[in-house]
Amino acid sequence: MSEPLLHRFNLLERIVHWVVGVTYVALLLTGLAFAYPPLFWLTAPLGGGAMARVLHPYIGALFGVAMLLMLVLWIRDMFLNRQDVQWMAAVRYYATHQRDKVPPAGKYNAGQKLFFWVQGVLAVVFVATGVMLWFPEQLAPARTLLSSARLLHYTATLGGGLFLVLHVYLGTVAYPGTARSMIDGKVTRQWARLHHPRWHAEQTGLTDT
Amino acid sequence: MADTLTIKRTSGSASAFIPMDALRSSGPEYSKLVDISRCIGCKGCEVACKEWNELQSEPTANFGSYQSHKDLTPNTWLLMRFNEIEVGENLQWLIKKDACLHCEEPGCLYACPAPGAIVQYTNGIVDFNQENCIGCQYCVTGCPFDIPRYSARTKTVSKCNMCIDRVEAGLEPACVKTCPTNAISWGSKRDMLAKADKAVETLKQRGFQHATVYDPSGVGGTHMMYVVPHGDRLADYSLPTDPTASPAPLTALNFLKRIGAYLFGFSLVGALGHLLAFGQESPDEHE
Repeated sequence: MSEPLLHRFNLLERIVHWVVGVTYVALLLTGLAFAYPPLFWLTAPLGGGAMARVLHPYIGALFGVAMLLMLVLWIRDMFLNRQDVQWMAAVRYYATHQRDKVPPAGKYNAGQKLFFWVQGVLAVVFVATGVMLWFPEQLAPARTLLSSARLLHYTATLGGGLFLVLHVYLGTVAYPGTARSMIDGKVTRQWARLHHPRWHAEQTGLTDT
Repeated sequence: MADTLTIKRTSGSASAFIPMDALRSSGPEYSKLVDISRCIGCKGCEVACKEWNELQSEPTANFGSYQSHKDLTPNTWLLMRFNEIEVGENLQWLIKKDACLHCEEPGCLYACPAPGAIVQYTNGIVDFNQENCIGCQYCVTGCPFDIPRYSARTKTVSKCNMCIDRVEAGLEPACVKTCPTNAISWGSKRDMLAKADKAVETLKQRGFQHATVYDPSGVGGTHMMYVVPHGDRLADYSLPTDPTASPAPLTALNFLKRIGAYLFGFSLVGALGHLLAFGQESPDEHE
């Protein structure tokens, strides 16, 4: 157990991740308040409905910028390859903790890569429709366009919200030792060997045992 | 005689989704009736609206029309539109009193997420409470008549409130009071419908075969109705032919919101179920 830890995410990556994470949750909560009247009280931490309406788009802009940075930081590790296809084919074994039947993953497994791309596409939808909803008076005659933008914005929220639940569940409760990689940036060698064997081999020069 | 204002529906609450029939009440239900055939285009109603509601006057310019301003604004709740249209061989003004119609099924209220920002009273008035408005302008997209106007200065939306303070005191709205030709009348919805039918009958005898009452059912009827001489040319009056309080995107949105709530709940239960069934995948057990 005294083996040195592996560095997984540097400080910049962690900061960008948490800017995305915090803005995402703030946007989700205020967004839910706008969508569901019984949840309108969720606007209270931001100073009430009117203030939440003002701040939501600015937080969204920050989210957009952070997502762009994240894209730049991580994109080169996120392209899907043949091994990822095999991994996806075995995803049911991954989900049921039968690791011996799962092809070894590199720094990111196919699920993480897909999560990256899905959130990337959703971010484009969020920002594009969000800008329209930010200044609806500029588009006021285009009622159908605005209603459709709102519908798309909400659809993206549904997709993003479900992925967020999955992301947080897997990153904290389901796979102990994972969350630490986004706090001090380090993981144990055992964790790396279990979840990302090929990355572990690259980092240590040791092959999987 | 003064009436008490009884709330029927408020935005951002369960009452926004209760079907109309369940909310029928025995109190008086009012309506304006605008008989376009009696309008002489004096715009006295525009002035009365400004005066009573203490709305700032707005500078305007000649833009080649008899109309005073181009559009409604947060400070102009009533605008007489003068559409110059060729009817037969004659050029005619097809005048429309452009202001809130106070729908029985208000699209603005259905779209509004802010509790109490839009209130519908049992007497038919749909009123905006700016202190509860968050400035999202969903009401603007929800209104089939393009009436609410957003003010970038106050960051709230405004529209005709049917002079609710006058109505509450038993008076007619200011535009009704001032109209010199009785083109605008005020009374119970039933009386106004009867009056409208009579006016249509008279118009038909005078040769306006297509004369009709504008009280569109797509929004459950309105509390400002029109007697339209050329009922076959509603679009030329800038009156939507088939307005609806539940356009397709809004219906889809409500469906999505319901599905979303279920899926989100299931996802939490699913995560817990997964944890119980398969437990944690801990590196320590793979030593």
